[in-house]
Amino acid sequence: MNSRNAFLFGISVLLALASPGVLLAQGVDEQMLLHPPADSWPSYHGDYSGRRHSTLTQITPQNVKNLALAWAFQTEQTALIKSSPLLVDGIVYFTVPDNIWAVDARSGHQLWHYNAPTTQGEHIGNRGLAMYKGYLFFLAPNAHLVSLNAKDGSVRWKVQVADVTKGYWTSMAPLVVGKHVLIGVSGDFDNLSGYIRSIDRETGATQWQWDSTPPAGTPNQTTGGMTWMTGTYDPDLDLVYWGTGNPTPVLKGSTRPGDDPYTCSIVALNPNTGKLAWAFQVSPHDTHDWDAVETPVLVDADFHGEPKKMLMQSSRNGYFFVLDRTNGKSLLTVPYGPVNWSLGVDRQGRPIPNPAKEPAPDGRLIAPDEGGLTNYRSPSFDTKNGLFIVDAHPSWSIYFAKPADGVYGWSGADYDVWGKGVIDAIDYQTGKIRWSHELGPGGAGSGVLTTDSGLTFTGDAMGNFLALDSSNGKTLWHAGSGSSIVSSPTTYELDGRQYVLMSSGGVMFAWDLPERE
Amino acid sequence: MNLSRSTLYRSALLAGIFLASGAVSAAQAAKPKAQAAAGVKQDVPAAPKLYPPDLVRKGGALFRQDCSFCHGRDAGGGETGPDLTRSELVTHDVGGDKIGQVVRNGRPDKGMPRFDRSDEQIASLAAFIHTQQNRAQARGVGGRKGVDAADLQTGNAEAGKKYFEGAGGCASCHSPSGDLAGIASRLKGLMLEEQMLYPEHAKSKVAVTLASGQTITGTLAYLDEFTVGLVDSAGWYRSWGTSDVKFKIDAPANAHVELFPKYTDDDIHNLMAYLQTLR
Repeated sequence: MNSRNAFLFGISVLLALASPGVLLAQGVDEQMLLHPPADSWPSYHGDYSGRRHSTLTQITPQNVKNLALAWAFQTEQTALIKSSPLLVDGIVYFTVPDNIWAVDARSGHQLWHYNAPTTQGEHIGNRGLAMYKGYLFFLAPNAHLVSLNAKDGSVRWKVQVADVTKGYWTSMAPLVVGKHVLIGVSGDFDNLSGYIRSIDRETGATQWQWDSTPPAGTPNQTTGGMTWMTGTYDPDLDLVYWGTGNPTPVLKGSTRPGDDPYTCSIVALNPNTGKLAWAFQVSPHDTHDWDAVETPVLVDADFHGEPKKMLMQSSRNGYFFVLDRTNGKSLLTVPYGPVNWSLGVDRQGRPIPNPAKEPAPDGRLIAPDEGGLTNYRSPSFDTKNGLFIVDAHPSWSIYFAKPADGVYGWSGADYDVWGKGVIDAIDYQTGKIRWSHELGPGGAGSGVLTTDSGLTFTGDAMGNFLALDSSNGKTLWHAGSGSSIVSSPTTYELDGRQYVLMSSGGVMFAWDLPERE
Repeated sequence: MNLSRSTLYRSALLAGIFLASGAVSAAQAAKPKAQAAAGVKQDVPAAPKLYPPDLVRKGGALFRQDCSFCHGRDAGGGETGPDLTRSELVTHDVGGDKIGQVVRNGRPDKGMPRFDRSDEQIASLAAFIHTQQNRAQARGVGGRKGVDAADLQTGNAEAGKKYFEGAGGCASCHSPSGDLAGIASRLKGLMLEEQMLYPEHAKSKVAVTLASGQTITGTLAYLDEFTVGLVDSAGWYRSWGTSDVKFKIDAPANAHVELFPKYTDDDIHNLMAYLQTLR
């Protein structure tokens, strides 16, 4: 920062402090995590439910056509922004691997930039941060959890959470629940067990670890079940919900007969002990790399006339699941796009894999493709319309595996044949698609945000930001971004103005309505 | 490039060897054996040591960071990315001249991001990828994951011909003596199967009618919700707002998409067997 900028920054801090309603930086506390105020987005999903539905209503279907750029922030990196930005005390925090930016949420002005290049671990993306009090939690590709001072990005402590030399790395946004920072691990090229680990939010000490699968080398047992993505939390039931990844070897099931628990599962854990309350397997004996780490979205509403505490997931394997989250029992299992790998659904609501559709030496035509009918990008539950809205990817592919491919890591090969992107609005009580909005060839990478005013924010396959009418999917606003959109939109309100944050490529865009009188 | 002259020379030599072997496929399995017979030990990469180990190590570390998730840690293919050890582009690359272009430009149409990498980094990546290709070749057929043309011979050509002319409806657009004459000589193995299932480079035609009533036709070059673009007969790219014009697209490749839910795996294998008779 040069002296002039430092001066201006100082002034703006004074002005910010002087303006009504703006207090000294407090960071995040438990109340904020439980009941996020409108001027915050304090965790990856914005709140514990994973609904990504905002109660903000300033931007409406009527005025969204006037939406204009408030600011844009260039990371000047080729790494794509895949994180959901946090918004706390008027500061936006977002990431790419090895990098964090703290940016003034009103102006896009950079406060600080943390850059700690690592050479180990896959640098495929970083989903963002967790925060508690004045401290951020960030996972580096080399499988270290870093706690930083939110005020200046200085490192408070750093602990190893997995062994990168064995083939683990980390990319997810941690989740703070009570005294715990919950982290998950990534990996697919080695036969390793996935796990969720609870870290003391103050000291960095490990509190507990829950393993998805038995230790590597256990005869006839699977490995895998990586915990790639951030889970959700029900404070009343005091249960954390998490999706687990695919089994390994990935495309070959011969060394891991049976269902391969708890891979491709949604699990409910006690956050204080890590003890498993229940598990529901969305893909028994997966051989197509369809992890079940897509957001377990928590919804309290009527299901066929009865009030229910539900958990919903649009899973990578092509099925939409509704569970009773008190006990993990199935309420609904239905495909939400082309699916050709199952023999139907069993009595527990689990798809039955068709053995004839396992990868084979001469190839099997499979829908969806390996990227799945959806993936890490976030869906949204629109509480207003009772719609589960997801960026889907109808697709076809061919899967191969032969003895010579071995039984370690990938153990086969698959090739995408065709796909497209489409926003599907699913009626959660029936699984019927209420409306669809085409996004273009290949597929789109943007997540979804809905608001109480009836808007759905997302992006298409060609790099257009979109605002759709949540009731029918019609486009109400768009802006070309010039690059790939591979993060999920967020929104917040500051000084009475509603902002929508959306990233494209290495640029963060903030949108709001033009000044009123 | 920071490669020494001798490295460049050896790279050229390597490229020559690979060019001579043509597309990497089952038919070229004899190559590594010949090298082994020339005195290369079996317990080390069978190809001559063409790149300084330091460079390969550096390239390997970079590959692990940026490329391995999609292309596999051994460059043999991973999540969504192709097996680079079988890539013709890699085969024809000399010291990163082609690999570097792909790395720096990305392949946006296939979802590959671009990476801003220095000449030294490109050289190291190329050294690593070529070394992996050498290793994969040394292992011979079947020693690595991937698909050999030999794997795709389980179908029945007669049944495939029947499907082509009947249930598949292929004959309504294609002809074995017309557009598909000699197809099996031009495309082999997985490449042929992928093109058979969906010809991703097939062009669509578009006719755009302007407000004035004038109609412009050409090859569809861009389409989203808001913009339609074409290349006209003179080679110019032209585009319009979709709300300002009327347009009609003729996309014959969509017939392939309609077939996906109808195919059995046997249909595909039989069709593949039939197409391979069209030499």
